[in-house]
Amino acid sequence: MPTTIAALAPLLIGGVLLWSGSLKLFGRHAAAEARRTALAGLVGEARVVPAYRILGGLELLIAVALIAPPPLWIDLAAGAALSAGFIAYLGYAALAAPASSCGCMGSRPSRISWRAFARAGTMLLASAAALLWAPSIAWYTELSGEPVLFTAVLAAEALLVAGLSPEFDHRWLLPLRRLHNRLTHPLSGGGFEIPLDSTVTQLIRSGVYRHTAAALRSDVTEHWDEGEWRFLVYSARYENRPATAVYAVPRLRYAPDDVRVAMVDEEEGTTLLTMDTPPPEDSRPEWVLTNPLPEHVRTA
Amino acid sequence: MDRRKLLTSAVLGGAAGLVGATALGSLSPEDVFAAEGANAKINPGDPDPNFVEGRITGITDTVLFVTSSDGSLHSIRVTNGTSIWKLNPTTFDEVKVGDGLYARGLRLADGTLAADSLWVNIVNLNAHVDSIGRGSLNLDHHGQRVVAHVENGRSAAVYNNTPAVSDMSMLEAGKHVKVIGAWHPDTNEITISTVYAAV
Amino acid sequence: MAALYGEVSWFCCGNSWGPCGTVGKGACGTCNSGSRQHAWPNTSAACLTITRPDRCGETLARRTCGHVHTTTNRCTGKAIATSIADCGPQTDLFCGERTCCGSVCGSNRVIDLTPSAYSAIGSLSTGLLPAMIT
Repeated sequence: MPTTIAALAPLLIGGVLLWSGSLKLFGRHAAAEARRTALAGLVGEARVVPAYRILGGLELLIAVALIAPPPLWIDLAAGAALSAGFIAYLGYAALAAPASSCGCMGSRPSRISWRAFARAGTMLLASAAALLWAPSIAWYTELSGEPVLFTAVLAAEALLVAGLSPEFDHRWLLPLRRLHNRLTHPLSGGGFEIPLDSTVTQLIRSGVYRHTAAALRSDVTEHWDEGEWRFLVYSARYENRPATAVYAVPRLRYAPDDVRVAMVDEEEGTTLLTMDTPPPEDSRPEWVLTNPLPEHVRTA
Repeated sequence: MDRRKLLTSAVLGGAAGLVGATALGSLSPEDVFAAEGANAKINPGDPDPNFVEGRITGITDTVLFVTSSDGSLHSIRVTNGTSIWKLNPTTFDEVKVGDGLYARGLRLADGTLAADSLWVNIVNLNAHVDSIGRGSLNLDHHGQRVVAHVENGRSAAVYNNTPAVSDMSMLEAGKHVKVIGAWHPDTNEITISTVYAAV
Repeated sequence: MAALYGEVSWFCCGNSWGPCGTVGKGACGTCNSGSRQHAWPNTSAACLTITRPDRCGETLARRTCGHVHTTTNRCTGKAIATSIADCGPQTDLFCGERTCCGSVCGSNRVIDLTPSAYSAIGSLSTGLLPAMIT
């Protein structure tokens, strides 16, 4: 059994390298992916794409040497060295550029996590096991000897590598999580209260707001509900004096056209403006495009 | 309460006389005029004197003491016209030492910022939904894990062009979202105010 | 440049508090939440491969660090001039998204302002605004 596991290591490592090397060399988004990796920090922005492709070529070369006969220990040593080098690179990337993509196997960006380390570690262990226990046993000889066991172990190892690869998450982990969410509804049961933000977005979509918002100086200072209305209060500056803007917004229905406003001078105790329907839009496509800007528009 | 009644009648009709509420005081028109004149010209790329970013290190009756990320110290004066956001619009007594904030207002001659608006612990994250748990989203934000809690009745969702709704059930694992939320100081957790998602 | 219409949002940068702390000084190395700056989706070829506005049908000119754009909030007409300090936003993540203010709408996220710049033309709690960029 240990010899079988060790003997199929070249096939497993070769397969993984074949996959990752081809994507680095021939992938449609290879150049973009290269720029997202931490390689740029090592070789410089200008050389990152050629370096990424050279690495892909090296991976392909080692993959072919591992899979094609004859079985040589030097191929396994090269595989082990590549895995060890990759672990070192991941360590550097995790410290120097933790937000960069791992640049490992897929055309999809995947961040550096413990799984990337575990996968590279698995590759290193497999190479070391083959070097120790089966440096000159050809995988195809083992396959013809024990085809069922060989295939089963290879499938299990391939599944392990896929499980450790965030690049494949969209194939199995994500559908599983979505199915789980569909069955358990973790975000349901929200109650019937209307969040304030729903009222604010309704207000913002109203014509009354668009015609008065230039006078506002603050975010919402105060709000309360009364009957079918929700009241939102802002600090404002209207006709060159401090004012309070009070908007009444329908609370339980979506009707931005019903929004109304009053601008109040609380010091004087006077209402400066009320508006329950916005003035009609004029024929100009965009009033803010007028040059110079209208006087009431404050340019920051 | 009386003030609310008066403001309500002002907007819905039948406005009665109004009396100013001055619990936190207000700015004199002269202060505002002088400050606006002094701050008229700020070059693109330059720090904005009418804006403060940082963490609160002290609070008195109406003044917040803030240390910015660059180490500079600021005092921020809060008036009865100042809006205070902390997940929702809230009151001055909800603001605590240790909170992060963004403040916009007018820089007065004595160096104090007279705040128009305070946004306490506000964050705006573009993130990937790793997974969804009971009442929370696990987000990947630039490689960092952030737990975003849903608070019923307060958190809202905007799907594409729809108005904000309280129904979060259309959020999916594996999608990107933009979250406006309130950070829980010194943790990797936030509470969602609005989540924007493409469906 | 001809006026560009779209959505404007905000982002934090610099060594600020909260989840922002890990974001850093941006692609230009100068970004600070307290400065009048913005992120632009086409600051370099590398930047464009991340933001991909073309996937939403937006063709944006290449503008490098320090270039000044003026962003006008189409709800209010308030405008602010800011300089480029980072690459972003990732336009392609929300292709076709619309934000409206009265009858005026903006589609696709084409610019991200720092909190200091965004708060000069809108409220940080709104997150998105229809904007005109020149």
